This record gives sequence, structure tokens and C-alpha cells, in this order.
Amino acid sequence: MPADPNMKILVVDDMATMRRIVKTLLKQLGFTNISEAENGEEGLQKLRSEKFDFVVSDWNMPIMTGIDMLRAIRADEALKAIPVLMVTAEAQQQNLVEAVQAGVSNYIVKPFTAETMQEKLAKIFK
Amino acid sequence: MREDLVQNGKHKLYDQLGELARFVETALRTLNQASVPIAASSSELPAVASHLAELNKMTEEGTLEVMRLTDLIQDNHGQTMKELTEIREVLKAVDCTTLAHRIQTTADNLKQDDQLFMQIMTALSFQDLVAQRVKKLVGILNDVQDKLMKLVVVFGPKADEDPGGTDSKSDELLKQLEESKTMAMKQNVADEILAQYGFK
Repeated sequence: MPADPNMKILVVDDMATMRRIVKTLLKQLGFTNISEAENGEEGLQKLRSEKFDFVVSDWNMPIMTGIDMLRAIRADEALKAIPVLMVTAEAQQQNLVEAVQAGVSNYIVKPFTAETMQEKLAKIFK
Repeated sequence: MREDLVQNGKHKLYDQLGELARFVETALRTLNQASVPIAASSSELPAVASHLAELNKMTEEGTLEVMRLTDLIQDNHGQTMKELTEIREVLKAVDCTTLAHRIQTTADNLKQDDQLFMQIMTALSFQDLVAQRVKKLVGILNDVQDKLMKLVVVFGPKADEDPGGTDSKSDELLKQLEESKTMAMKQNVADEILAQYGFK
């Protein structure tokens, strides 16, 4: 199933610059329904209060990390089916394996290009 | 004969004890002298950490400003593209095909600029990578300052134990920084690992 351009996307990152970059890229790819959260805890709150179709998250964040948020999403019956893409500077093999074991839908290593984002979206929503 | 041997042994022991006492005194004096510059240096560390944090703020502000300006230029381009498309339609209607073609070429060039704008935006993700490293450095500085202050206050056995410690916060953060230089994966390596887990 290809990605619906109207799907609601949540971008979770503590850095304003990264949230803006990801939002700009997603807009360029045709997605305009985008919300933001500054950490995993805020992300979870938003996910539990509104319906989202896709989550793009950083790993390293204060209060609640991206990997902890991912585990919480997968443990929550109402949220566990939401695809989660991790966009992170945590580029060690054990991080990637940890993310896969936690149920990540795909993984992007920073810095990245628009093409990489497009390719990963296509894989998630094929 | 036996008494001589005992006397000799005692003499040697006194000599060694004397030597040991002199060594301890010299060590204590050296530590005492060092504690003043150590205290001075460690008191500067919070300022250094604060400068680094400020650096993060400055790069973030600069990056956001570049993004804002890039967005403005992109919007202007979009507007120009719209105008050019309208002009091209008018030219086509009055049969000025050569001019219409030239307008189309200009519009195509502008469209290519959109790609460049996206590349500028993604290149700005350097700020996030820099900020993460600076945060780790600030953590290391805070930890080092904490240790130096302890050394000054309770120097002695602590001074000998601390450098050997392997599980401290600064050791861990330094290790992370080193690893990020040598072990950071490229996207293609990440994709290979993902493929092993069934990600196609």
C-alpha cells in the first residue's frame, strides 16, 4: 500500500533544526499533515491523544529516548501497528540491532539525503 | 655475631623507614602545591562548559536562519515559476513558440534549483550532529571538574585511585565520542544489516 499523502505524521526530535529538516523533506515528498514533539514522552502523549499514521523519531532525546518510545509504542495495543522510522546519529551496529529488536520499521543514519528518506518511505509503505 | 646481625637489620629498617617518610613528605608537598592550580583550573571548567553550550545555541540559531532564508528563496522561486508558466501560456497563444520555449527552459532551471534547496536543508543536519557531540563534551567537562574538586578536597588515596577507574561517566562519554569517529555506520552498511533482519 503506497503512502497516503494525507496521512498524519509525527516527527519526534529534541533539535528544532532536525524537526524542520524532516518536515521540509516530508513536505517536499508531498506529505503536509505533520505534527511535532520534542521528546519520546511528548510523542507518546500525542500518539495517545490523536490518531497518527506514521512516526519519524530521533534516538537521543532528553526525558524519554526514541528507543524507549518505540518500545512503549509496540507494547501499546492501540499504537503497536504504527510504522516507526528512526532517523538518528546513533550509528553503531548494536544500536541498529537494538532498534530492530524493539520493532523499528526502518532506520536512517544521519546525515541523510531526501532520496534516502523517499526510499525508506517507499519500503515502509510498499 | 647474632647481635651484630640484628643491629644491622634494625639499622637497614630505620634507613628504609626514613626514606619512606621523606618520600611521603615530598609527595604530600607536591600534592599541596598542585592543589591550588588544580582548584583554579577546575573552577574554570563550568565556564568552558557554558561556552560550549552557547556554541550549540549559536549554531542552532544560525542554522534556523539559513533555513528561514532558504524557505523564502524557495517560495519566491515558486512564485516566479507560476508567473513564467502563465507567460508561457500567453506566448503560446500568440504563437511566439521560440519565446515560449525559452521561458520553459528558464522554468526548468528554476525547478532544478529546488533540488539544490533540498540539499542545502539536509546539509544543515550537521548542526544536530555537532550539538550531540558538544553535549557529550559538556558532560565530560562536568565529570572532570567534579573529580578534580574531590582531588583537591580529599587528595591522598583518592588521587591514586581515580585515574585507574574505568566505569566513570567521562570514560564512558569519551568512549562514545571515540566510537562515533571510528565505528559510525554509513547508510549502506545499515541497509545491509537491515537486510539480514528481513528488511528489503
